[in-house]
Amino acid sequence: MTDVRAEEAAAGLDIVPSGAGSGGAGAGSDGAGSDGTGKSAPPSFGISGWLTWGWRQLTSMRTALVLLFLLALGSVPGSMLPQEGADPAGVQQYFTSHPALAPLLNHLGLFNVFAAPWFAAIYLLLFTSLVGCVVPRTFRLAGSARSLPPRAPRFLSRLPHSAGYSTALPPDEAIEAAAGVLARRGFRLRRAPAAETWVSAERGYLREAGNLLFHLALLGVLVSIALGGLFGYKADKLLVAGQTFADTRSALDEFHPGRLVGGGDLPPFTITLNQFAASYLESGPDRGQPSFFDARISYTASPGDPARSYDLEINRPLSVDSTKVYLIGHGYAPVFRVTDARGQVVYNAATPFIPGSTGNFLSEGVVKVPGAQPQQLGFLCVFVPTAVDVGGTLESVFPAAGNPAVSLIAYAGDLGMNSGVPQSVYQLDTAGMRRLTTGTELLQPGQTLRLPGGRGTIAFTGYRQWVSLQITHDPGQLPALACGIAALAGLLLSFMVRRRRVFVRARAGERGTTVQVGGLARTDASGGFEDEFASLANELAAAHHSTGPARQSETGE
Amino acid sequence: MSVNLGLGQVSNDFLIAALVVYSLSVLAFAGDFAFGRPRRAASAAGAQRAASEARVAQLAAVGAAVAGAQTVAGAPAAAKPPADVTAPGEAGRPADAVPAGADPAAPPATGETRAAGPEQGRPLPEVVPSGFGAVRQAGAWVQAALALSVLGVSAHTVAVVTRGLAVHRAPWGNMYEFVTALTCVATIFFVGVILRYRAWALGVFVMGSVVVALGLTETLIYTAAGPLVPALQSYWLDIHVAAMTLATGIFFVAAVFGVVYLVAGRYGKRVPAGKAAPGNGIVLRLPGAEQLDRLTYRTVVFGFPVWTFGVIAGAIWADQAWGRYWGWDPVETWAFITWVLYACFLHARATAGWRGRRAHLIQLLGFASLIFNVLVVQVFVTGMHSYAGVG
Repeated sequence: MTDVRAEEAAAGLDIVPSGAGSGGAGAGSDGAGSDGTGKSAPPSFGISGWLTWGWRQLTSMRTALVLLFLLALGSVPGSMLPQEGADPAGVQQYFTSHPALAPLLNHLGLFNVFAAPWFAAIYLLLFTSLVGCVVPRTFRLAGSARSLPPRAPRFLSRLPHSAGYSTALPPDEAIEAAAGVLARRGFRLRRAPAAETWVSAERGYLREAGNLLFHLALLGVLVSIALGGLFGYKADKLLVAGQTFADTRSALDEFHPGRLVGGGDLPPFTITLNQFAASYLESGPDRGQPSFFDARISYTASPGDPARSYDLEINRPLSVDSTKVYLIGHGYAPVFRVTDARGQVVYNAATPFIPGSTGNFLSEGVVKVPGAQPQQLGFLCVFVPTAVDVGGTLESVFPAAGNPAVSLIAYAGDLGMNSGVPQSVYQLDTAGMRRLTTGTELLQPGQTLRLPGGRGTIAFTGYRQWVSLQITHDPGQLPALACGIAALAGLLLSFMVRRRRVFVRARAGERGTTVQVGGLARTDASGGFEDEFASLANELAAAHHSTGPARQSETGE
Repeated sequence: MSVNLGLGQVSNDFLIAALVVYSLSVLAFAGDFAFGRPRRAASAAGAQRAASEARVAQLAAVGAAVAGAQTVAGAPAAAKPPADVTAPGEAGRPADAVPAGADPAAPPATGETRAAGPEQGRPLPEVVPSGFGAVRQAGAWVQAALALSVLGVSAHTVAVVTRGLAVHRAPWGNMYEFVTALTCVATIFFVGVILRYRAWALGVFVMGSVVVALGLTETLIYTAAGPLVPALQSYWLDIHVAAMTLATGIFFVAAVFGVVYLVAGRYGKRVPAGKAAPGNGIVLRLPGAEQLDRLTYRTVVFGFPVWTFGVIAGAIWADQAWGRYWGWDPVETWAFITWVLYACFLHARATAGWRGRRAHLIQLLGFASLIFNVLVVQVFVTGMHSYAGVG
């Protein structure tokens, strides 16, 4: 056994029956104290022997340390490779650019590391090891809180901290005075039997309690996360200014329920986006950097309730009926009016466009007009908020709509919407369609494009803005926060409190009574026991009206 | 509110001033190495180890209880005179410390009991003199170095504060501001360590690293004062990033200590093997391995809860801003990795076979992951924390 506990056992030390790191890794899952044979050869007897051996291996500090390492190591690919949860498009792209490597990585779960079985195996083993170490220690702490401090050792000068002096008081009175000082300082005392003159004192049980609290709270965080995964959900909704939506499964764009959540569990609120405003830096090196977003919404918590208004901002979500609504994105929705060959208005709506990666909200979108006669119409469009012609190509030079324009390509034919294959509203399947215009056509607000062959017109009548909302419900959130705070409190306790013992012995000597004070701190993470002992010893000496240099008795030393 | 360019310039000027003064303090610390009052610490570490081992043996015999590493408690980071071996009651008392209690509050018994013999002579412990008193004893070079450090820290603090006033927010909104603030934390913390643990022998390394970090920041990633994107406009920025800055500054100091520990330890191993000449002047002036180890440990113990708090505050903010408290965003993942690695260090120090060199390598790995997070992940890996404002 190469664990510290073994050293303590070898040294016959017994301040606390469990052996934790002497340096006191406050955060240490210091392991089971019974674990004195950890690295010895596995026993050659029966299944139960093997099980015991395995359990001791698992709950040993070395194993915990290795598992901690693996946890850190295992997290690395999760940050280096695109992850399905956070960046599904990135995963797709990785498959395209690394066709040979990607399936292999996928097989290893490296695109979803934090849900991968091997990752779960690491943290579950770690937490099992933690439980196996923390639970016995809790019992031991409870035991030592009930029992008294140990008897004072015979030779206190052999303790790491000790002091001696003589006093005129008789031994029993000196011990009485010392007990008074120690009790005032909050130590638990153990008094000597009638014939002896010593007192033992101990303080700082909160250190171990804090350490245990920290580890149990980590366990609590894990349970809270699991709670969120089972009973929570996450949904997305894109909402154009002026529109209203009700929080039902069909109205949501995306719905990711937890394992035990159904569509009926959604709270029945409705939200209307009245207005959205974004402002951007107008000048300086960071020109175009957003400076403020504000979505004015009104909402009703449940049908029949009065509508209330709220300013939804980034960092300022709306809490409604145990869910939270976040502003997570925004964009432009140009409004088009399309007439077909018969002159009928077959499309008149704000159409959300997706901002591209080129910046300044150059946005792409499609307009699909399945009701147009004689053939269905489709338009591939680009919306440019502040358009500038740079050498023949349209570019956006500012994210705000200073000079909005739309460039589009018109198609006629079959949109393919009845093929049974679900279509994205942001993509146009031109397989069954014929291009109507040779180049791209540029429209400014209010302008109308007449389609060739008398197929109708498309007018760019203006634009609105849209916001994307994220609706989340996570019942594990508050427990996780509480556990996080508890973990921090436990950590602080285990680092700041030191568990220490102080012993005082008084012996009648040739010239008055000799008093010996001894002290030891088992764990002293933040230091300072030496100073405390110095001040305590001096206080004791003062209480004993110390007289002159120490004169130790010759016996026994 | 618009940026106050005048104040921004004041901040830049003070930062340059701090950099110059810090460089001078490094020279002064180096001067202490070269010309300062010599220490009597020739074989302090070895003697100390022998003493503590002897004591453990004694303890085992009596059946009294104490853990091995605990036997030498007290003021770390100060080289001890070999005389301590015969006066164990003086454990941890620095060589340069004033022998008599400088604290007027100490009871009169102090000092009078020193006459007792070595074995029985465990007189009343003295109250250790204040850090300033110890510095006064340490000679002109140390005094000058400390004075320059304090002057530099003052200029540095003014630079950070005026930057904050110039931009009307907490001055840690981009990487330039972050490094400026964290080095400020590191130097303030280290001045505290000097005063509390008399660790001026480490000054040339810590202040030297600060000068290098600050100089690189100033030349490579200087960012003019400017406002923040909406995602950062939250009081959680103040809280979360402040905690991360504090913890990083503290871990920075711990990392320098760890490197010194490893280099000095390697030298100590090479001497008996005949690969290095004994009596290296710099190593002799350093605190003993055990004290360096304990000092590093306490520094990490100080930083770890701050880091933990920073991660929790970040989770609360992420919940406010992004609708989830933990999403394995690359920066979150690396903050987690850093946390786990420092937890490894704390545990390793309590696991035999992992103490010493190995534990400190883990600690340095933790700091490396932190730096990797700041310099690589936040800049080059796309995630929700891409606010570095570099390039």
